[in-house]
Amino acid sequence: MAEGRRTRGALYGSIYLGVAAGLLIIVQAVLLAQVINRVAFRHESVAQVTFLLWLVFGLFFVRAGLSWAAEIVAFRASGRIKTYLRQVLLARILRLGPVHAAGEQSADLAGVMIEGVEALEPYFSRYVPQMALVVAVPLAILTLVFPTDWISGIILLVTGPLVPFFMVYIGYKAEAINQRQWQKLLLLSTHFLDVLQGLTTLKLFGRARDEIQIATQISDDYRKTTMAAMRIAFLTSAALEFFASLAIALVAVLFGARLIHGHITFYPAFLVLLLAPEYFVPLRGLSVHYHARMTAIAAARRIFAILDLPVGEVPAGGAPEFEAIALECAAVECAYAEGPPVLQGMTCRFEAGKITAIVGASGAGKTTLARLLLGFVRPTRGAVTINGAVDLADIPPEAWWQNLAWVPQNPRLFQGSIAANIRLGRPDADLASLREAAAHARALEFIEALPQGFETVIGDLGQGLSGGQIQRIALARAFLKDPQLLILDEATANLDLESEALVLDAIADLTRGRTVILIAHRLALAERADQILVLDEGKVVESGTPEALLAAEGPYRALSRAYYGEVAPCAI
Amino acid sequence: MRDLIRLLRLFAPYRNWMWGGIALSTLTIIANFSLMTLSGWFLTACAVAGVSSYAVQNKFNFFTPAASVRFFATLRVGSRYAERLVTHDATFRLLAALRVWFYTRLEPLAPAALQNIRAADLLSRIVADIDTLNLFYLRVFTPFIVAGISGLLMVLFFGCFSWTAAGVLALGLVLTGLALPLLTLTLGSASSAEVTTLNAALRAEMVDAIQGMGELLSYNAAPALQERADALQERLIARQAGLSVLTGFSSAASGLLGNLTLLGVTIAAMTRVAAGTLAVPDLPMLALGSMAAFEAVIPLPLAFQYLGQMRLAAARIFQLADQEPAITPPATPSPRPGNFDLDLRDVCLRYVDGADWALENLDLHIPQGSRVAIMGRTGAGKTSLINLLLRFNEYQSGTARFGGYDLRDYRGEDMAAYITVVSQRSYLFHTTVRDNLLLAKGDASEGELWHALEVAQLAGFVRAQKLGLDTVVGEAGIRLSGGQARRVAIARAVLRDAPWLILDEPTEGLDPVTERELLRDLAAVLEGKTVLYITHRSSGLELMDRVQTMSEGTIL
Repeated sequence: MAEGRRTRGALYGSIYLGVAAGLLIIVQAVLLAQVINRVAFRHESVAQVTFLLWLVFGLFFVRAGLSWAAEIVAFRASGRIKTYLRQVLLARILRLGPVHAAGEQSADLAGVMIEGVEALEPYFSRYVPQMALVVAVPLAILTLVFPTDWISGIILLVTGPLVPFFMVYIGYKAEAINQRQWQKLLLLSTHFLDVLQGLTTLKLFGRARDEIQIATQISDDYRKTTMAAMRIAFLTSAALEFFASLAIALVAVLFGARLIHGHITFYPAFLVLLLAPEYFVPLRGLSVHYHARMTAIAAARRIFAILDLPVGEVPAGGAPEFEAIALECAAVECAYAEGPPVLQGMTCRFEAGKITAIVGASGAGKTTLARLLLGFVRPTRGAVTINGAVDLADIPPEAWWQNLAWVPQNPRLFQGSIAANIRLGRPDADLASLREAAAHARALEFIEALPQGFETVIGDLGQGLSGGQIQRIALARAFLKDPQLLILDEATANLDLESEALVLDAIADLTRGRTVILIAHRLALAERADQILVLDEGKVVESGTPEALLAAEGPYRALSRAYYGEVAPCAI
Repeated sequence: MRDLIRLLRLFAPYRNWMWGGIALSTLTIIANFSLMTLSGWFLTACAVAGVSSYAVQNKFNFFTPAASVRFFATLRVGSRYAERLVTHDATFRLLAALRVWFYTRLEPLAPAALQNIRAADLLSRIVADIDTLNLFYLRVFTPFIVAGISGLLMVLFFGCFSWTAAGVLALGLVLTGLALPLLTLTLGSASSAEVTTLNAALRAEMVDAIQGMGELLSYNAAPALQERADALQERLIARQAGLSVLTGFSSAASGLLGNLTLLGVTIAAMTRVAAGTLAVPDLPMLALGSMAAFEAVIPLPLAFQYLGQMRLAAARIFQLADQEPAITPPATPSPRPGNFDLDLRDVCLRYVDGADWALENLDLHIPQGSRVAIMGRTGAGKTSLINLLLRFNEYQSGTARFGGYDLRDYRGEDMAAYITVVSQRSYLFHTTVRDNLLLAKGDASEGELWHALEVAQLAGFVRAQKLGLDTVVGEAGIRLSGGQARRVAIARAVLRDAPWLILDEPTEGLDPVTERELLRDLAAVLEGKTVLYITHRSSGLELMDRVQTMSEGTIL
């Protein structure tokens, strides 16, 4: 935990304060034993010990103040760590890019950044200070007890270390079993959720009632196995209890025997008895906060798994402004992680100011090609060249993104108002340009029909927006940015006919006068392009104008048949 | 509070387990209290005897208290162990009871009452609520009852020696266990609520960043989001720091109250010892006793925190479970129709009184064996038609006859036996392919399962899996593509072999090529069945005899 070092000062501060409060307990016990000894055995009156009583009274407040301060300082330390880690994590995840964020292993990145980082707090604010107490307080008590009464000293010396010993050799393992079992319990919750989500399906098959039986059975089996494991796990707490109780009982009985024969006086005996429970308190606290350590370690593992991922070098400096953009891929090869190449020897050209449609079966490499041109993935071989002069890999991605707009298949609307969503690429755009962009995207009418209009907050809408409306907002975003290059992932397949018509009209407007790369899932739109590239297995297998491709008996014709069945294209 | 009492009533069958756990917890605390008080008394009594004459020393019974000290030490260990076993066992039993109860209540309500809470995150919240309520016994009920009983016992014990000391102890326990946690919660409630809101807002930004990263980056909007996240986090940390000041105060004050009680008890006892009205050994006994007594109230601050969450969770759960079923099943058994003609005349259906009609004066005749497509836009009433036929929702007027009998004479589960639905919402359970298929026909043979998969064109894929039919579907196992999931639903329909088949937008969300293949393969399943095909698109209509358009709840 290298980041922990940054806040070392605060952390040490909290530890010192905590240890000071812990050590004062010894002073407190000494004073209290003296008060009781003087009243009980020296027959002094309460008035004669008033000074000592005031001293004890003051000490109580000092201790409370110290432990309060320790808590506040400890939070300062962990608060700083949390802020720092979240900033670093977010920056790193953004650097790793959308391909990583969409990957399987990163299912719960948000969980790592929120709960994962939060889980570190109890470790720093509770476990670490407690560790210091575990060392300092028992040692101090032993230092005091040994000169007072060596027999009790030995009892404490022997029993004390046995507690951490047992915790390490039984407890930690048992705790691990314990945690695994609780994890399984969570899985049971998942099963229950599964059943609730599928309740309608179960009812349709007349099986809903059977599930009750199954759920009861699973819960019961689970309870039995868990309790079997817990019988061992709970031995830890029993062991802790055993040594603490045993030590107190031994101290009491052994002192009793010596006191009755007058071998020793009351004061040291009572002092040791007062201190004996305090000797075990920090150890007890350690087992309580041990859980915090386990969760923190698990969380730290996930955090550092992200921070340790390699990120490529990003070229520095500015980039030329492009008047018009033509793109060229030369023998490009692309692969994800250790997988086989997804694009292999891709060579193609996207003319400036022209619409190029990319078609192909799913898995042909359409998405990867779009990611490549967007700079989200880098070629493992070959290069993408802009206007025949600039290698895409040589300009900073931010500068490249200035020139383009991307409308993905399932556009994302962000937290905030519709206006803020459209202004994504131009936060300072005025309302007039906003309305103009929305009008071009065929979105103005429905936005203004909403009670709050452009200020409607996404997510506050009861029914939400329809797929077609979301797409039109995403198109308005692109209109507002007014880019040289437009990369468009067309997804009108699941819109109803009316929405589809509006989206297609908006797309037709948007593509005018720009370089457009259109990932086409349906051929209707591809047929309006200037050029079509047919992809298969990561390569361009056919290219040309739509008319030429339809005339040729090539892969495009085959694809076209798969799309339309045996029916002629005009039937759609 | 009424909800929590109701919750306890649900737990009634397990009351022996619950009270057993409480008794053991109380015993654990009392054993420690006894160990400490007795040790203090014993030590001092020995010291008093030690400075007395030999006669007194000889008369002093050393062995009984010494043995008792060891007894209480052993009791403490044993009861602690037993207590943890029993309370956890009880917790598991209660969880199972609660889930079964909730499921039993929810099952008749589905899907009508669940329509509003379809979203997966809301269902997750229900499950989380039930998990929270399950801790009610362990974290709330037990600590309060145990603190009450053992506190009372310890105060009474003190009362045997000094009522002043008993009063001080009672005051100390009440202040530490009740007043302080309540004060802390009240002072912290605004900040806690804000922390929750800020956390949710921060999470939303992170989710935006992750799921919308492509757009965020390509529109160069990531720095703005980072700034927003930083600002949120700054506010969050400030609020949490405020709360830590409060929790720090609470734990320091709790320690302080314990110490002040100790001081008060000591002074009260000393005064009586000095006056000669209390035996010397009782002074250290009471002092050590007051130290041990506070163990009883340690879990209460946490219990108060849980209490707040649980009241909300219980209110939500009961509100959901208390809904009226949308349909009252007929008292008599369902009729056994001779044919499967459907005849709807002037049918009107709405979900809430006074709302717009979802079906309005609907006329529809589907004779057995015909294939009818119903086309319409989202909101045209297509889903309501399905809800009507499957008896999910009641219709208010008109006549609906199925096989010549009034639709109201049928129970929902019997209608489900005549109609199989293949839809985009057909749910795939996170279990094996086999279990997902057996759902449709519990006693299907291996051969039947494979035949169904063949018809659904999924056999090749399942055969290619290492575990075949026993491959787990979903998060724990293979992920099925949208098309494959739909094929599982088709395989279920084949196994079911019901006379009616409703295809509810079966190709929704699929790409055009997959859509065509699926529709092509469906043709074999439709053979000999009455088919109702619900769609908003034109594909697949060639498989139907008749196409009708639906709009605003009625057939045009």
